[in-house]
Amino acid sequence: MRVLFVEDSPRLQKSVGTALRKSGYAVDLAGDGEEGLWLALSHDYDVLVLDIMLPKRDGLSLLAELRRKERMVHVLLLTARDTVLDRVQGLQAGADDYLVKPFALEELLARVQALGRRAYGTKRPRLVVGELEIDTGARSVQRNGQSVELTAREYLLLEYLARRRGEVVSRTEIEAHIYDDQVDPMSNVVDSAICNLRKRLGAAGETGLIHTRRGLGYILVETTPASSAP
Amino acid sequence: MISIRRLLTRRLLGTTLGLLALGLTALLALACHAVVHQFDLALRTKALAISTVAVVTADSVRVEFSDRFLRGFDDKRPRDFFQLWLPNGTTLARSESLGDATLPHRLGTYEAPVYFLCTLPTGRPGRGMGFVFKPKQINGINRPVEVELVVATDREDLDETLLQLAGLAAGCGILLLGATVWVVPRVLRRGLAPLDRLGEQAAGIEASSLAARFPVGDLPEELQPIGLRLNDLLARLQQSFERERRFSSDLAHELRTPIAELRSLAECAIKWPETRDTTTDTDVLAIARHMEGLTTRMLSLVRSENNHSSTPTEMVALMPFAEETWKPFIERAAAKSLKVKITLAPLKAAADPVLLRSILTNLFDNAVEYAPAAGEICINLESNADIFFRVTNRAENLETSDVAKLFDPLWRKEAARSGGQHFGLGLSLARTFATAMNWTLGAHLDEQRNLSLILTNVPAMRDKALEVPGENSSLPTSDRKTAPGHSPQPTPAP
Repeated sequence: MRVLFVEDSPRLQKSVGTALRKSGYAVDLAGDGEEGLWLALSHDYDVLVLDIMLPKRDGLSLLAELRRKERMVHVLLLTARDTVLDRVQGLQAGADDYLVKPFALEELLARVQALGRRAYGTKRPRLVVGELEIDTGARSVQRNGQSVELTAREYLLLEYLARRRGEVVSRTEIEAHIYDDQVDPMSNVVDSAICNLRKRLGAAGETGLIHTRRGLGYILVETTPASSAP
Repeated sequence: MISIRRLLTRRLLGTTLGLLALGLTALLALACHAVVHQFDLALRTKALAISTVAVVTADSVRVEFSDRFLRGFDDKRPRDFFQLWLPNGTTLARSESLGDATLPHRLGTYEAPVYFLCTLPTGRPGRGMGFVFKPKQINGINRPVEVELVVATDREDLDETLLQLAGLAAGCGILLLGATVWVVPRVLRRGLAPLDRLGEQAAGIEASSLAARFPVGDLPEELQPIGLRLNDLLARLQQSFERERRFSSDLAHELRTPIAELRSLAECAIKWPETRDTTTDTDVLAIARHMEGLTTRMLSLVRSENNHSSTPTEMVALMPFAEETWKPFIERAAAKSLKVKITLAPLKAAADPVLLRSILTNLFDNAVEYAPAAGEICINLESNADIFFRVTNRAENLETSDVAKLFDPLWRKEAARSGGQHFGLGLSLARTFATAMNWTLGAHLDEQRNLSLILTNVPAMRDKALEVPGENSSLPTSDRKTAPGHSPQPTPAP
């Protein structure tokens, strides 16, 4: 999942950005409201973590502009304002969640994860595709009852494909949701990640789950489609 | 609890009913008097009629009267009675209705008869009148003889009429009493309805509805001043609440953000130790210093605000003091290519040097920090009736409405409060320090957006000893002007 973190404190940018990346999210950072709005309008983010008191353009106005332009990204407001009125204003402006500073990183990550789940229309923390079972809460994967060890990025790739199971997911979409702007769009990072993921999953089961649709992208299905190539 | 409505109701009812009773009584008395007067007139008419039948003869007085002459004087339905006496007390004549009885012998003159109440021979209440008259003389007889006449009549009808009048008056009184008791409270309730509405509106005011105002235009003339005062009070309360809310919000931001930074840095370092590097420790130290600075200033502000007694002061030579205080800013001003114009008069004033230095440092720091690069700063020390420092710089982003908030604790023009160097406490502290020295600190923004912070000492006192013509400033990096009489010596900032 790809997350945009708009915060004017460089230290918070650094620590929260690191925590999100370590948790496997693709993270983009913005230091003011204008930059944040530009990024939010230019990319398809799964979650936007947004400070309210920002230079150049405040968070609520940024949020209002996003909603005005029909951008339905899930927004977590992260702010020092803690009154009921502030929370109500934030939620009425179109935010999905509200977290007051100071906060526990674990809570922030859990909320981002919950919003990410909501982005794919499910509240269940377990995703099941055939013999594959993904626990999004524990971030663990099992195939045929055997645990599969994945890196954070591989896990996110698998979760993303599992959330869109049965759909062909293009490389561009995978790049947009799993990798941040630091990844070179011309690189074969997606292909090699898929390759690694297949190896890991293959070690735990016999049949392939991730199939390539030539020129289109990848698809995660229970059974092998006749037209697909492994 | 005193209720205006109850009080007014009681008083209005009491007054109205009193006046009503008085009016009805007077009306009844007048009516009774008129009826009795009419009755007496009728009685007098009868008496005059009887007096005309007495004539003086040559040897006596003769009464040419028949009991049938007037109805009522007969014995069939005895209602009227009369009796005539000669001056010697001998009864000259009497009505048939009187029988052997005698009427009270009470007499007035012909012009002013005596009227009286009496009991008639029939045992019924009656009213009588008596006077002395001279009967007419016939056949040229000229004998001065006086005859005494008393006429009485049954006053049952009169009493009945008076009773009816009294009943009518009592009935009217009861009716009016009921009407008054019913009408007065309602009229009062209606009349005091605007006061009730005002009270209800006032009761409905809460901290969250301070933006509401009383509709003064709809209020009666008498309540308009109250409405206006209440609106003024609400405006002040709203302003105060907004200031408090802004202060809380700013304080929350100033405290919560560094704590959030510290916590997330620590949690990150604990959870992913490999992410911890030397910048983490530097960041932690910077956060600690920031919070230390904030805490120190907040404590200073609280201490200064709590210390209401004036600070001991001493005479301070302001010109060298200001020059000395400005020195640390020369380098920063030069780095921003600021043009600094300093005009200082050789004045002396009572001040606490520590507090004064703190105030001036704050004013200079603000000017250097917020003046646009290559802009201009003017520092003036002048005197008319008062002594005042004026530090002026251009403030592009400041609005006129911001000037009132400049001295609010933690207020910063930039709502994001991103800069880590300032807290928005400096001017609050400076003003508190100024107050402690019995000085004042104010601000003025002109139309060209030049912000002047003005520190004023009211009891001005020129130090004649310091007025040395041609004295040069020790400041090497400023345009310096001396007081009137001194030639300015501009020096460009490096």
